[in-house]
Amino acid sequence: MNETHPGGCECTPIPSTPMDTPLRNVLDRISGFATPWRRKSCTAPRGRRIFHRDVEQEDHQFQYGTAHCLSSYYSVFVARLAIMVMLAILIGLLTILTWHFTRIYTTKSLNSLAYGLRNELLQRPISRMWNIINSTSDITTAQLKLSEYVFRRYNKPATQAEQVELYEAMRDVTWALFASRKALNAITINYRNGFVQAFHRDHRNNNTFYIYSDLANYSISAGGSNEINPLSSHQGWKDQSIHGNISAIWYQEPLDPVTGEKIGKAKPIPPDDLINIAGLSEVPDGVASWHVAVSKYTDSPLLSAALPVWDPSNESIVAVVGVTTALYSVGQLMKELVEVHSGHIYLTSKEGYLLATSTNAPLLTNTTKGPKLMMAIDSEEKVIKMGARWLQEAYGNNFSQRHEIHAENARLGQEQYFIDSFFLKLKRLPLVGVIIIPRKNIMGKVDERAFKTLVLLISASLCILFIGCICIFILTNGVSKEMKLRAELISHLDARRRAEASSNYKSQFLANMSHELRTPMAAVIGLLDILICDDCLTNEQFSTVTQIRKCSTALLRLLNNILDLSKVESGKLVLEETEFDLGRELEGLVDMFSVQCINHNVETVLDLSDNMPKLVRGDSARVVQIFANLISNSLKFTTSGHVIIRGWCENSNSSFDIGKFLLNKKKSQPAHKTKLKEQGSHTKKACKQDNRMILRFEVDDTGCGIDPSKWESVFESFEQADPSTTRTHGGTGLGLCIVRTLVNKMGGEIKVAKKDGPGTLMQLYLLLTAPVDGTEQHCRVDFSKQNLVVLLALHGRMGRLIMSQWLHKIGVFTVEASEWNELTQILRELFRIRSSVYNNGFDAHFSLREPLSTKVLNIQDTRNPTFIILVDIGLLDLSTDIWKEQLNFLDSYLGKARFAWMLSHDTPNAIKMELRRKGHILMVNMPLYKEKMIHILEAVIKERNLEVQKKSSNTLRTTKEGDLHEYLEIDATQFDVASSDDSDISEIGSSNSVSGSHTGEKRRERNRKPGSSGYQATNNCLVELTRVYSKENYSTERDPCHVTLNSHEVQNEERKCCTQASLSSEAQSESAEQHLVISSPTAQGNLYSSKAVNEQKSLEGVRILLAEDNPVLQRVATIMLEKLGATVFAVGDGLQAVDALNCVLSAEDCIRESIFEGRNKRTQTEIKDFPSYDLILMDCQMPKMDGYEATEIIRKSEAGTGLHIPIVALTAHAMSSDEAKCLEVGMDAYLTKPIDYKLMVSTILSLTKRTA
Amino acid sequence: MDGVAQLQKQLVDYTASLFQEGFLDEQFNQLQQLQDESNPDFVVEVVSLFFEDSERLLNELAKALEQKTIDFRKVDAHVHQFKGSSSSIGAQRVQKVCIAFRNYCEEQNIEGCLKCLQQVKHEYSLVKSKLETLFKIEKQLIAAGGSIPT
Repeated sequence: MNETHPGGCECTPIPSTPMDTPLRNVLDRISGFATPWRRKSCTAPRGRRIFHRDVEQEDHQFQYGTAHCLSSYYSVFVARLAIMVMLAILIGLLTILTWHFTRIYTTKSLNSLAYGLRNELLQRPISRMWNIINSTSDITTAQLKLSEYVFRRYNKPATQAEQVELYEAMRDVTWALFASRKALNAITINYRNGFVQAFHRDHRNNNTFYIYSDLANYSISAGGSNEINPLSSHQGWKDQSIHGNISAIWYQEPLDPVTGEKIGKAKPIPPDDLINIAGLSEVPDGVASWHVAVSKYTDSPLLSAALPVWDPSNESIVAVVGVTTALYSVGQLMKELVEVHSGHIYLTSKEGYLLATSTNAPLLTNTTKGPKLMMAIDSEEKVIKMGARWLQEAYGNNFSQRHEIHAENARLGQEQYFIDSFFLKLKRLPLVGVIIIPRKNIMGKVDERAFKTLVLLISASLCILFIGCICIFILTNGVSKEMKLRAELISHLDARRRAEASSNYKSQFLANMSHELRTPMAAVIGLLDILICDDCLTNEQFSTVTQIRKCSTALLRLLNNILDLSKVESGKLVLEETEFDLGRELEGLVDMFSVQCINHNVETVLDLSDNMPKLVRGDSARVVQIFANLISNSLKFTTSGHVIIRGWCENSNSSFDIGKFLLNKKKSQPAHKTKLKEQGSHTKKACKQDNRMILRFEVDDTGCGIDPSKWESVFESFEQADPSTTRTHGGTGLGLCIVRTLVNKMGGEIKVAKKDGPGTLMQLYLLLTAPVDGTEQHCRVDFSKQNLVVLLALHGRMGRLIMSQWLHKIGVFTVEASEWNELTQILRELFRIRSSVYNNGFDAHFSLREPLSTKVLNIQDTRNPTFIILVDIGLLDLSTDIWKEQLNFLDSYLGKARFAWMLSHDTPNAIKMELRRKGHILMVNMPLYKEKMIHILEAVIKERNLEVQKKSSNTLRTTKEGDLHEYLEIDATQFDVASSDDSDISEIGSSNSVSGSHTGEKRRERNRKPGSSGYQATNNCLVELTRVYSKENYSTERDPCHVTLNSHEVQNEERKCCTQASLSSEAQSESAEQHLVISSPTAQGNLYSSKAVNEQKSLEGVRILLAEDNPVLQRVATIMLEKLGATVFAVGDGLQAVDALNCVLSAEDCIRESIFEGRNKRTQTEIKDFPSYDLILMDCQMPKMDGYEATEIIRKSEAGTGLHIPIVALTAHAMSSDEAKCLEVGMDAYLTKPIDYKLMVSTILSLTKRTA
Repeated sequence: MDGVAQLQKQLVDYTASLFQEGFLDEQFNQLQQLQDESNPDFVVEVVSLFFEDSERLLNELAKALEQKTIDFRKVDAHVHQFKGSSSSIGAQRVQKVCIAFRNYCEEQNIEGCLKCLQQVKHEYSLVKSKLETLFKIEKQLIAAGGSIPT
């Protein structure tokens, strides 16, 4: 199939039924799938084609569709939703992942960073602490060592002076140490005897003091007790010191902080008032000890270390050395460190006493007992307090010992903090460091950023989601719209295809019905024929039956028309390709219609240009059908005026200027054919070179015309320009449609053209090929040299005009007359001058018109012209007897001019008889066209030549002219029958008889024509030359396109045949009158009497070979044919037929040889005697060898011998394809079973006569 | 003479009924027309030819349809022949069944073919008996000295 791709196909031509079923399934499925969309579109139905047949179905579908619509709507909605949700999930995941990764990694790295920072922050005060403690311990150790040295030096001071010296040395050493360490708060030495030496530095006012106790109160002996009881000495010391302290007086001496020189007076101070003096109580075990102390003079806690000094013998403690350092600097450092981060650091002792903070909050509380260390939870600084509290709550009181704590999200008050604590393990003085940093400071920006990022991400993803949803909606909407459109398109295509298919089915159905429809019709006609043959009918019955017969024929023809149309539509019309004489066909057609024209007072004129090819290849029947339809159509609507058929050739391929020129000329003045002969011949040559040619035609009438708006639509089926025409003119409106399809099929076009004046102008062209051999027939006499003068006395103006123009062109002088008086005047004018013969009959004096008189003068100039006077019988007054007078008048010119009479079909026989009697032999029937004119001219020329000859030979001058005269006559019978037959065809607005359909009727009509005319189908329009001269004289001069009758006998015999054929065919009563017109009285006489006999024996002497396998049919056909007088040889299959024929052929060949040897002229007749076959009736379907094959073999064997035995196919199929097949293999005709024997007879006759 | 007239009437009626019931069509008329002095028994001859041919064809058809693998082309050819011969003597009903038969053949429908074969046989026997009766009446008529009305 071509159109699957719709487009194919499309579409494309007509799809074949079996192949499109799968496609249809698919389409159905698609359209089913697409129904919801289609339904949607139903809400706004535009110009949708609804076929009547489908309306109910559509309704049903609609109801079904609305239910369907809802569910599908939901399904679409769900689909959209699903896509959107998926998009949302995707975007959400992306967002979360992005956020997560950015967040987690930053947080992690930040956290580790923050941890490091915090650690560092804490580490530094702690290391400072370490430093302080270390330096304190260093100094203490140094002091200890120095003290030990001093004691060794002044071992056992015995005297007071030595004692003092010892103290002095000790003081100097201690000062040196003290001065070197600016950070020290104090160094004390407490001797065993209770003497105290100390240096103290007040950092607040930067004063340095030396403090010592009153020497006088101490004795050296005190050391003795210690010696004795080292263990109890401690107790003793303590008591002593307490005692001593109470009683001792201490002095404070301000010193220069740099040099250590005394700068002030010593003043007594209460003991222990200013500083703590490390005593024996602080070193109970004799090892170094640490503790934190408070002093009322400093507001920061003090760190003090104490070491005992052993005597050189290392048996007893001599003194206790103490060093005190303020922790103030640690706090300072912390403050500096934390300031940037706005955090807090504090150090506590193991018990929770605050040692140092990064704030300025006091570390000591003033109680009644003096300043005391503060607990961290009691700190005045809120943050520290809360942090300590939080820690306590979280980890209990003794958290610090176990582990370090790092809390990231401790909530203190309104803010979040990082809290980290470190445990610092000093010997005897464990410390806990806590750092509190507000989270905001470290993570604040990060958190903020993270939050912003999250917000941004979420909003961005929401935006994307929203946009995505919109996009999806738009996309799906677009897709759904497209789907809707597609579905609609598909449904439309489907509907169109269905419509096409249904119309195609219709056509096919009609085409297939051909047989079934025709069979009953054939039966009806056959039965009527039988009835007509019946002798016992009364005249009335006979006429009634004849009428029925006619009506049936008409009905059959109408049927054929419809079938033709449907056949064309279903593409089954096959055009023949045979040679035919187009001009002759058209002439025959015009002859046929002229009868009708005359009735209507309408003139039919055929005007073919000289460059028309004689023979063309194509389907003659169809071409004739085209013109018959057009002409009958024109005639139907033309009540007066003329119908002109013009035709000219235009070379199709060659772009010859001449061709164009001709065409242009034609168009500018179509009625005026003034072509030069050379041009014509040029064009002919061009046509010959390549054989395809464009033949242009015009059918021009003066009828009522067609409204320009209907110019296209008149070619549609069942379309008529005016609906009322059916009433007035009848017809179905099929004619022009058939014409158009046929013309298109022949590669041409037809259209209605604009025309000046009333009427219609149909223009068409056909693409036909000329036969290759192209026997150019123009061996015509050159009339221009013959000195001919033609007087056209014709009634019809148009015909006369065209004829005179043409005659003028070929070089013949013409004079025109349109009525009797004019004729007489011209005659007188012409002959008065040339000869003095003057006739009295009509004495009217008319003065000739100017142009005419000059013409006449011109004619007079030519030497010895031959006058031909062509008189329309209509010029005579036939209503009265005046015509006889008129004839008598013309008689006087008989000798000077040749008369040719234009008869009409209804010219009374009496007139013809009279004319003949008077020696007017040249008679032609009414429509005058070129071919007839040429024949008249030729006849005249021949006659003249003969006369000249006779005159010279001087023989037989006495012979009666009438007998010797050329007997020129048109046999009116044939076309009368045809035209009477056709008049009712044109009434029903359909084709003429020749252009019937493919079966019997057409065959019959076509074959009847040659049968009735005796020769070629259109021979009837020709002038038959019946010569009484010896055939020896003229046999060599035969015109190639005419068949000359050799003798009267032959003619008579011929005529008999015609009569039989026409009788057997149809319309006897109709044709009865016209038979009377037959000129030969003998034939006329024979007409009725010989009817029965002739019918019975019409095939007398014909030898027929019948190849038929079916015995029954064989028998029937044999009897049928034998009854008709034929000799029948029956064979059972194709093989036998071929064999039978081969015998004959070989026999004939022998004889042929003998002919050539003997050169005997009579051998022709001998061949006839030999039992060869004149015709073969060939069944198509036979065993062994079928008819087609047999025919092919026969034709092959004939090739080269020049023989052609007619073969008629017998087949049960009535389609044109079968006919085409038959004709293709070389058969000549075609008969359908069951055999209609009238048809058979006419077919056989036509074929046997053709070869006769 | 009465007997002859009666026989004539009977013959005409019978023939008419045959036409009416569709056993015969106008082809049979044509056959009868072809019968004349030179071929006095033409119709009988042709019809008996038809009978012979038909019996042969029916046998062949039955044989062909009994085969395991049916050669439909052969069957079709036989039916075609049968159709041709029946149509040429005007046995219309046989012809019609033949047309249906051929359709089944084209479809290669075995059951349809067998059914049609039965129908064809039936129609054939019907038309055979009818025609035989017709000829019998004609014979009687001729024996009685009457002429066959045309």
